[in-house]
Amino acid sequence: MNEEYLRKLNTCIQCGTCIGSCFSGKVTALNTRKILMEYIAKGKPVKEDDTIWFCVTCYACQERCPRGIPLTDILIEARKELVREKGLPGRLKNAFGFLAEYSALVPARDEHAKLREELGLPLYHSQFVDGARKEVVEIVRKHLGGVVR
Amino acid sequence: MKFFPGCMIHNRYPGIEKALYYVFEKLGIEISPLEGSSCCPAPSITRSVSSELWEELAQRNLKLADGETVITACNGCFTTLLEVSEKFGAGDVRHVAEFFYAEIGAEELKKYVEKRLPLKLAIHYGCHFFRPSKHKRFTSPERPKMLDELVEVFGAESVDYRYKFMCCGGGGGVRAGATEVSHDLLRKKMDGIAEAEVDAIAVICPLCMNQFDNGQKELRELGGEDYGIPVIHYVQLLAIAMGMDVEDTGLERHAIVSHSFIEKLVK
Ligand code: SF4
Ligand code: SF4
Repeated sequence: MNEEYLRKLNTCIQCGTCIGSCFSGKVTALNTRKILMEYIAKGKPVKEDDTIWFCVTCYACQERCPRGIPLTDILIEARKELVREKGLPGRLKNAFGFLAEYSALVPARDEHAKLREELGLPLYHSQFVDGARKEVVEIVRKHLGGVVR
Repeated sequence: MKFFPGCMIHNRYPGIEKALYYVFEKLGIEISPLEGSSCCPAPSITRSVSSELWEELAQRNLKLADGETVITACNGCFTTLLEVSEKFGAGDVRHVAEFFYAEIGAEELKKYVEKRLPLKLAIHYGCHFFRPSKHKRFTSPERPKMLDELVEVFGAESVDYRYKFMCCGGGGGVRAGATEVSHDLLRKKMDGIAEAEVDAIAVICPLCMNQFDNGQKELRELGGEDYGIPVIHYVQLLAIAMGMDVEDTGLERHAIVSHSFIEKLVK
């Protein structure tokens, strides 16, 4: 993991502000600091800990940390390393499958296209523009080759 | 100016787009859709997989604007396009709410109001409107006031409620990837809103809208609470205040439809 992030993590004074700011941590077992401290100890995220996917990336912890540790950015980095090792969690795999096929993480189905029509709005998202869709799909596949098929 | 719809507005809540064009026309500002644009892509979950993918798709979208200002009405699209445009010094990106506030101003907007809407609203900014704040210097990340002032333009009241600045539970891939967690967060937020006895929830992001709107329906279908509180985007409210037919805003096609709310808007 990023040296700069590791250096910053080591300046943590264990004040608990990050955990106190985390709404997600109030309804789940998500404990940002613990996840990140494991990082320091082991140099990589815990494989069996799914709570890393419970972070809504609200950035409250990051913005309130008195040491200026970019907690959310680091957590996102940690997710990336986890994805490389374990792949995406199931339902997120579907979303990226859509991106690789329709150029949209949230593609339109017939009913949605129809609603646009009823409102008199054209279909101009790349999902509906052949050349654009091809261009986007190529970019997605180039970067996600191993993660989504 | 170019309007960037992103997947959520183009493919789920097109009424927001229709309302936005109405408002811009009233204001005399030319705007047209950014044709061929794709998923922004969503900042947190895309970066959780590949930052390079995130940057390359965002750059493609920015390039399509060909130097024109890009207007978004979604906090996720705004975050992605703003951060990537800043990183590469490419393009001018605005969120419609801060654009109205900073470039038009609440006092000026009032002149365009044809119909006052004396509603009680629970305002939800959405985390990514004001954070990460190093990119979003137009407002405070702790207790912002911008939107509260913007609804006063048409005579609505922003009601304080418990957990006002809490996340809706939709962000970071949590709604897609860990639905139960997103429901738990939503329930907390909705309990606070229900206590405040408002007419509707006002948002400025279609992802938050989807979380509140479809999320409430899901909670009900799971046999839980039936809050039945309608959700509306600020641009839809402003358009109605400026004279747009409620029917054209797509409001009646949302998952939560409240006839008493619609009556108040039509009146
Ligand atoms: S807020 Fe910052 S300094 Fe305090 S415990 Fe969390 S990471 Fe450490
Ligand atoms: S960014 Fe994630 S970990 Fe930090 S406070 Fe928000 S939900 Fe919690």
